Amino acid sequence: MWIERKVLAQEIPAAAALDTRQLCETLAALGFPVDGVATLEGTESLDVDITANRGDAMSHRGIARELAAKLQQPLAPIATGAVSEGEALVPVRLEAEACPIYATAVLELGEGITPEAVQSFLRALEASPKRLPAVDASNELLLRYGHPTHAFDADAIRGAVSVRWAKAGETLATLDGVTRTLTECDLVIADEAGPIALAGVMGGDGTKVTEATRRVLLESAWFEPKVVRATARRHSLHTDASHRFGRGADPAMARVARDLLVARLQAWCQAKLIGAWTAGAVPAPSAPVELGLALLARVAGEAVPLAAAQEALSRLGCVVTAAGDRLCVVPPTWRHDLAIAEDLAEEVLRLRGYEHIPSVLPPMEGPPEHLAPGYLLRQRVARRLAHLGFHQTVTYGFVSPEADALFAGPDNPAAGRTLANPLGYEYSVLRASLLPSLKATAEQNLRQGSRQVQLFELAPTYRSTPAGPREQVTLAAVWGGLLGGEDYLSPARAVLEADLAGLARDLELPGLPTIHRLADGLFGFEIELDALPRPQDRIIPVFRPFSRFPAVERDLSLLVDLGQSYAALHQAMGAALPADSLLELRCVDVFRHKSLPEGQQAWLLRMRFQADRTLVGDEVDGWVAAALAAAESLGAKLRA
Amino acid sequence: MDQLLPPEIVEAGQTFPAALAACGDLDALLRLKGAFVGREASYATRLMELLKIAPKEQKRELGAAINGLKQQWEEGLKARQAELEATKRKLGALAAAWDPALPPPQPPCGALHPLNRLMDRLVDVFRPMGFHVEEGPEVETEAHNFDGLNIPEDHPAKASSDTFYLAAHPELLLRTHTSPVQVRTLLRVAPELAARGGIRFLAPGRVYRKDEIDPTHSPMFHQVEGMLVGHGIGMQHLKGTLEYALRALFGPDTEIRLRPSYFPFVEPGCEVDVSCPLCGAKGCRVCKGSGWVEILGAGLIHPNVLAYAGIDPNEWSGWAFGMGVERMAMMLSQTPDLRLFFENDQRFLKAMGGLD
Repeated sequence: MWIERKVLAQEIPAAAALDTRQLCETLAALGFPVDGVATLEGTESLDVDITANRGDAMSHRGIARELAAKLQQPLAPIATGAVSEGEALVPVRLEAEACPIYATAVLELGEGITPEAVQSFLRALEASPKRLPAVDASNELLLRYGHPTHAFDADAIRGAVSVRWAKAGETLATLDGVTRTLTECDLVIADEAGPIALAGVMGGDGTKVTEATRRVLLESAWFEPKVVRATARRHSLHTDASHRFGRGADPAMARVARDLLVARLQAWCQAKLIGAWTAGAVPAPSAPVELGLALLARVAGEAVPLAAAQEALSRLGCVVTAAGDRLCVVPPTWRHDLAIAEDLAEEVLRLRGYEHIPSVLPPMEGPPEHLAPGYLLRQRVARRLAHLGFHQTVTYGFVSPEADALFAGPDNPAAGRTLANPLGYEYSVLRASLLPSLKATAEQNLRQGSRQVQLFELAPTYRSTPAGPREQVTLAAVWGGLLGGEDYLSPARAVLEADLAGLARDLELPGLPTIHRLADGLFGFEIELDALPRPQDRIIPVFRPFSRFPAVERDLSLLVDLGQSYAALHQAMGAALPADSLLELRCVDVFRHKSLPEGQQAWLLRMRFQADRTLVGDEVDGWVAAALAAAESLGAKLRA
Repeated sequence: MDQLLPPEIVEAGQTFPAALAACGDLDALLRLKGAFVGREASYATRLMELLKIAPKEQKRELGAAINGLKQQWEEGLKARQAELEATKRKLGALAAAWDPALPPPQPPCGALHPLNRLMDRLVDVFRPMGFHVEEGPEVETEAHNFDGLNIPEDHPAKASSDTFYLAAHPELLLRTHTSPVQVRTLLRVAPELAARGGIRFLAPGRVYRKDEIDPTHSPMFHQVEGMLVGHGIGMQHLKGTLEYALRALFGPDTEIRLRPSYFPFVEPGCEVDVSCPLCGAKGCRVCKGSGWVEILGAGLIHPNVLAYAGIDPNEWSGWAFGMGVERMAMMLSQTPDLRLFFENDQRFLKAMGGLD
């Protein structure tokens, strides 16, 4: 909220002596940081950030009250004219507890417009003056004292006025020109013909003050914050008045604000007071709050003398009585946020200044807990992938229904994962797979000129269940573009499915995941993290002895059909070899060339043998012959 | 003398030095050697045959001439061979030499995402003080996201204009902060709180709010929540822990400042500023000349939050803080646009995230 320094100084003269920086620092230390300073209408104004719990501070008077308590300087008295109340000219019936007090007056307006100084104040605070004194005075009072008031055209009101719950289906055309259908939860001001204002939110169009208005009926009331908030929300009608009432106005200000309004109209346009009266009364203060010294010392980090706490709370307007080691505190009528002992402790600390809080490391009361295996696994996988050249991405958890459908299984309907109020269609479904997001990101990187794209993401994916979307942390990796070719030793080639398979092995995935071809030369896989082996509990695995005798390596070059299954061949050859001496059997080269018989390819199979003795050549030759025979049984031939 | 020799041999002898020089490699030299001094059909063998049939009186003189010629050829060939061998050795050495300036094969190098890296760093900083990591789901209940945190029933944050809800499950939402992890964790440990001696943890994670995507807003972002529950915990412990942690993050000369503020789930509440890590609190664009940067919100856990979880607020107390990861990352890196963190350009990731 913008606070004009000149007007602030009228409320607390001592503030005039502070330079802007001191004033900003003092306000920040009180919990009201200043977001900006500007010169508006020739005077300096501060943009003060006021938290939602401090409705009482949302005015020049409110900020002045805080400064007065902190600086221990007096506030200027509120200059109300002497308005003597009399008989009600129009009956005002309070029919709902949500409105305990309703102060009003009827005035006959004379000639005159809003003084230039007030117009300039309103302009500075971005409240455009209407040049209708009754309206401008109400706006000025709101900004200055924080109490919303309203002026009705008294001649437009038919019969008695009541504050009551609306009847379902009743309508009201509000000042903004919208006709609103009301519910039984809306509190209204009504005359005998129906609602004339939404209580604490906005007046009605039919009773508004215009240049033709001769007589006004003023309203200065107090409405239950919850009720005002609900009505403002229900009608999407957030006004300055609903903002103040919704955060809790001061019921004791009802009469004061009415008197101030009367005095302004008398001064500005020679208005004649016809009568003033009040329905209801300021509600009794809520039960006192107790603050024990032990709790205060615990919160503050050191003992605070009872007298000091009592004095601080009194400065804030609390009525404080000391009883033994505790204070009995009745908060002032404007503070609705002081409900428990901790609230009061905060106030004492706030006035002392948070800079006085000591700095202490909390003592350990029990042993620290380990990091969870799932968390450690994610850290390990992310680091491994980054070391392998992959870049970790962070993409939104929601995607378009089309993107989602690409990888969502038929048993995972999007309906159970769809947002009721998405940011847009393209962000409307909680994703079943990370691959659509990674595909889009990879393609974007390739378009931006990357030769090679290597991305991974660790994030939840969602599965529809009757109880709601079930989350599972998922790992997805995509790889595409060109490998190598960037130095004199590494030839260039396209990334292939086999590269993803190698990656899957490196990560010790159980089995080969489905490798998706996402686009030309772009591949990816995805796996739920739970499927990965957990880091072992052992720091070092159990020792397994290994042979110190030399290993023997033999290669077999085999001609096989193009359709030959490697798994079958590997299985057959492996079965023919002695399990206790075979270290490894693997294809180390695939050769396809027009020099080979049509429909055939050459596989180079390497066997490594090792045993707890020196292997004899004849013995190894026999094994190799057996492996060859096994291969031949599948149609392979030894390549000449 | 030359008149004793066949004219073609005389001619060959005259061109020999040029032919020798023209031999570019050892093979050519061998061919030349064969032609002149080879054992078969060379000029030398023809000269020897000539000598055999020469008249006796000429033999002496002819023999001397032939020997001179052969010697001249052999010496020339030998010298040239040495020359060619030296050149070959030199080239071999050059070919084997490694030029360290030639771009070498580069081992692969990827990167962690900068936001994850920052969150990991925070965990590292808090680990020595006994904090572990708690996590929770991103799809949450209203109870965990709001009610358990002392957020009033009619709080504006609950509105569908601020919070994403599930269409098929109106009671479920995307968590708007990491604070529901507090609620879940407190509910879980409440029965064993005394036995375990309180609890202290961090909760890093993704959160969602219905903000349009622009340079400073994103519907998904990250927070790190911190919480400690123990006996007699007050604001001094919050200040002590944060002072330690923020100095570990930003350097030993870092100062911190607590300012009163308000969050429904803490009382007292505060905002925490650090002395600007970019200018050393001298005043710069990032701290808007003030020397201070707002870094997180914190406070003592509201008794209602403890009570909701079944923890007696008269016995136990604690503090909590919540920190925006993107905000901190943008401040530290001076990244001008939040969207860069979600575009995942490899160049950005490599430069900003890297790998420790």
